[in-house]
Amino acid sequence: MKISIVTPFGKIYEGEIKEATFPGSEGEFGVLEGHSPLVTNLKPGVITIRKNDNKEEVIAVNWGYVEVTPDHINVLAEGAVPVSGTSESEIAQAIEKAKQLIKDASDSDALVATVASKIESAARNI
Amino acid sequence: MATLKELKTKINSVKNTQKTTRAMKLVSTAKLKRAEEALLLSREYARKIEEVTSEISKKLTLVKDTINIRAFADINEIKKVDLIVVTADKGLCGGFNHQTIKTTLQKIEELKAKNIKIRLKIIGKKAIEYFRFVGIEMYEAIEGLTSAPNYEKAAEVINKSYEDFVNEEIDNIIIIYNGYVNKLTQKIHVKELLPIEVKNETNENEFLEVEPNDDYETVLESLVKKYIEYIMYYTLLDSLAGEHSARMQAMDAATNNAKEMVHQLTLQFNKVRQESVTRELIEIVTAIEAMKKN
Repeated sequence: MKISIVTPFGKIYEGEIKEATFPGSEGEFGVLEGHSPLVTNLKPGVITIRKNDNKEEVIAVNWGYVEVTPDHINVLAEGAVPVSGTSESEIAQAIEKAKQLIKDASDSDALVATVASKIESAARNI
Repeated sequence: MATLKELKTKINSVKNTQKTTRAMKLVSTAKLKRAEEALLLSREYARKIEEVTSEISKKLTLVKDTINIRAFADINEIKKVDLIVVTADKGLCGGFNHQTIKTTLQKIEELKAKNIKIRLKIIGKKAIEYFRFVGIEMYEAIEGLTSAPNYEKAAEVINKSYEDFVNEEIDNIIIIYNGYVNKLTQKIHVKELLPIEVKNETNENEFLEVEPNDDYETVLESLVKKYIEYIMYYTLLDSLAGEHSARMQAMDAATNNAKEMVHQLTLQFNKVRQESVTRELIEIVTAIEAMKKN
């Protein structure tokens, strides 16, 4: 299925994926192909994408909307930072930016800490 | 025939104008580049949010009556609309502003013919000046927003209209502006924002789940609001890029015209100079000849 993640500052990610997990306002949820149509809010957290080659990618978002249809997903985020890069320094920079994004968006320390640990563990797998 | 001195002053003044127009063209080129970048970055989001709201509206077709959101409802009778017109704050950009004004006047006639009342909200000094001059009443006039688009201010303007729409004071919001296509062309857009249109009508019985379930109206309502705010903001960005591209073109044409004029004037100047030289020579030669006879 297709996913596209856009912010007011441009496109963040677009492509074919197998599975995606979102930080929905009612709790985390995963989407596979053929999911029934759904619209919901996102809260600060990370979107985890599993691509067709089983590689995972992590994108931090502050808040936004997600629209799910059986064959595609549209994410309209206010701010999003992909945790990826080709070199170690680039990845470290992305992690810092992602953490800052979540920190600015959330006032709960527990949430910030959970998300930060998720981002870091995802970064180890890159 | 003009004298040499007169011609010289004229050539100099045209050359000065040419310098100004060239400088203005360069400034516009630089500004266009920035406006273009901002536009391209936001284009994707604008396209997506439009797609998403339209898709949602399509899926809600069957349950429209049970949902208490006016943006998705069917409105049978349109009595009053908000007409939001966006032009530039500055002139010297060819027909850019006038095209928008012309389209607006046409739209006003069209709506009047259907007995629909209009509230005119004008953004941009040029259109404000025009409507004030011809004496068409404006509901709201906003200056200084088109030259520096700002999300908060754009949202403020459109939210007032949206609230009136929700309170059933108005039945539609129409935006008219001149947008950017590429460096050489601009295109007039007339957008009817509300109620959100269903693009391709299908009668599929599609089901849509909205989470949180007990409060789905808040989610949809906030999405619609975001959509409207963003479209307004995007309109301003589009208009700004269009303005700079129009000005760039206008100033380029002006520079070329000035160049052509300097060329013509120089030809004339040389002709007059040649004539006076010849005349002087003839005078001297005749004088010498006359003196020889004595």
